[in-house]
Amino acid sequence: MYSAQITRANPTCVVLLIDQSASMSDPFSGDSARKKADFVAEVVNHTLHDLVIRCTKTEEVRNYYHVAVLGYGRQVWSAFAGPLASREIIPIADVADHPLQIKSSYKRVSDGASGWVEIPVRFPVWIHPTADGKTPMCEALTRVKQLLERWLAQHPRGFPPTVLHLTDGESSDGEPFDIGQQIMSLGTDDGNVLLFNCHISSRRAAKVEYPSDESLLPDGFARTLYKISSPLPQSFLAAAAQLGVHTVDGSRGFVFNGDPSSIVQFYEIGTSLTGMTPYRWMDEITEPE
Amino acid sequence: MSSVKQSAGWELRTQQVLLPKSGFEESECEDFIGINEQTGRFAVADGATEAFDARNWAQRLAENWVRNDSALTSETFHDWVAGEGAALHSAWSQLTLPWYAEEKARKGSFAAFVGVELDLHSDAPSWKAIALGDACLFHCRAGELLKSLPVSSSADFNSAPLLVASDPVINKTSADSLVIDSGRCQPNDILFLLSDAAAAWYLERFERNDFPDILRDNDEPNAAKFFENERVAGRIRNDDIAVIRLEIQQRSTS
Repeated sequence: MYSAQITRANPTCVVLLIDQSASMSDPFSGDSARKKADFVAEVVNHTLHDLVIRCTKTEEVRNYYHVAVLGYGRQVWSAFAGPLASREIIPIADVADHPLQIKSSYKRVSDGASGWVEIPVRFPVWIHPTADGKTPMCEALTRVKQLLERWLAQHPRGFPPTVLHLTDGESSDGEPFDIGQQIMSLGTDDGNVLLFNCHISSRRAAKVEYPSDESLLPDGFARTLYKISSPLPQSFLAAAAQLGVHTVDGSRGFVFNGDPSSIVQFYEIGTSLTGMTPYRWMDEITEPE
Repeated sequence: MSSVKQSAGWELRTQQVLLPKSGFEESECEDFIGINEQTGRFAVADGATEAFDARNWAQRLAENWVRNDSALTSETFHDWVAGEGAALHSAWSQLTLPWYAEEKARKGSFAAFVGVELDLHSDAPSWKAIALGDACLFHCRAGELLKSLPVSSSADFNSAPLLVASDPVINKTSADSLVIDSGRCQPNDILFLLSDAAAAWYLERFERNDFPDILRDNDEPNAAKFFENERVAGRIRNDDIAVIRLEIQQRSTS
């Protein structure tokens, strides 16, 4: 299970589900200058950028991934804008070709001796920060289930879909346990859909990352999210270890009271699919930002 | 199959297998084999799947290294790689690339590489090899594995090794990881050059004292089928496969 090679004939699917409720306009605890929605949009754009780059073979982007980015707040909608907004699950090559804008900047990297040089880099933008409305988590998860059912009917073989759900609060439209379990019961011949949840907080509270039992979780909402979080398959555990994130066999893809670094790691681990993990040399000489 | 290397007292039997990943086209194979019996050089390069233009980089490394006859030292190798890298990057600069290709090209290309140079012109034939990454050379005698480089255990294939980089800055930083070694041969010794999936498969069997000389017992098409079946059975990882088998034989005087 969770070992299928990801190919163009048998691509996998990645769904990024983002809480875009009004509370996402609040800052992180201890970082009053940075709104949660701004940071999450930045990380999601970076994640899409990484997926595109991983699939780039010389001048072509190969469709190893099919991607959906959904937001929920005032309504449940595609978080993409422009020509991608009207589509459900989109081949990664189409994502590559339709950013809203491409920002240019410079990045300092080692010159191989003792100094640094600045090189031009490009930052494509697909989604803008949004924070409006309540937290219709059940409606959003229902939409995810519908999307996946349609996608799985056409892609019954291969590495199963991964859903990365990020939220900063409790569901405003009911208990998400049942719909979460229904999503986790879908799958391909290589395993069930992986549903990972990252809860972030504006409050100063102890974070719990990738637990393997419920004992450290503070309340019923946290325990519900834990129960609808899939155990991390072996390749994801290896990716977590590469990032220096502590996990054990049985760790769930679940973060509670996460901070900005938790979000970055959550997306990196959640998209580290079998056979597609970047070699460490890819970025090892880049100066840490 | 060929058996053409001529020298005073020795000849060479050369065989090879090159297979793309299952489900992939031959044109997508990122392993390359270089064979040049005039220079006595043989090489396998394995382009890193996620790198930009990895196929061209691996092809350039394998095919051009066997053509050149420069001394086999760390400095010479790095200078040669720098030249090949510059030529590759120069070819890219002629292209108008979309943003994603430009980003990927900025990091350069990467490949594992192993090359061996045989000297069969003396009474005591010998080899000298150079390797970076997880493409391997095995030296075997009478069913025993005498030497394996740069990886010596099947358990060591899961790490992310330093590879031959087309970028001159990264190329410099990999100097300490380059492995250069040499050995002497006896009649019927066998050298294998392999990319990582096949190397891991062979090493696992050597570790069980089970010398799997597939190419001795099969012609090249049947050996390729054998490896495909091993993949289906889940005993070999679904990756590109490159194998060169070199058997050093004493020339018959009759």
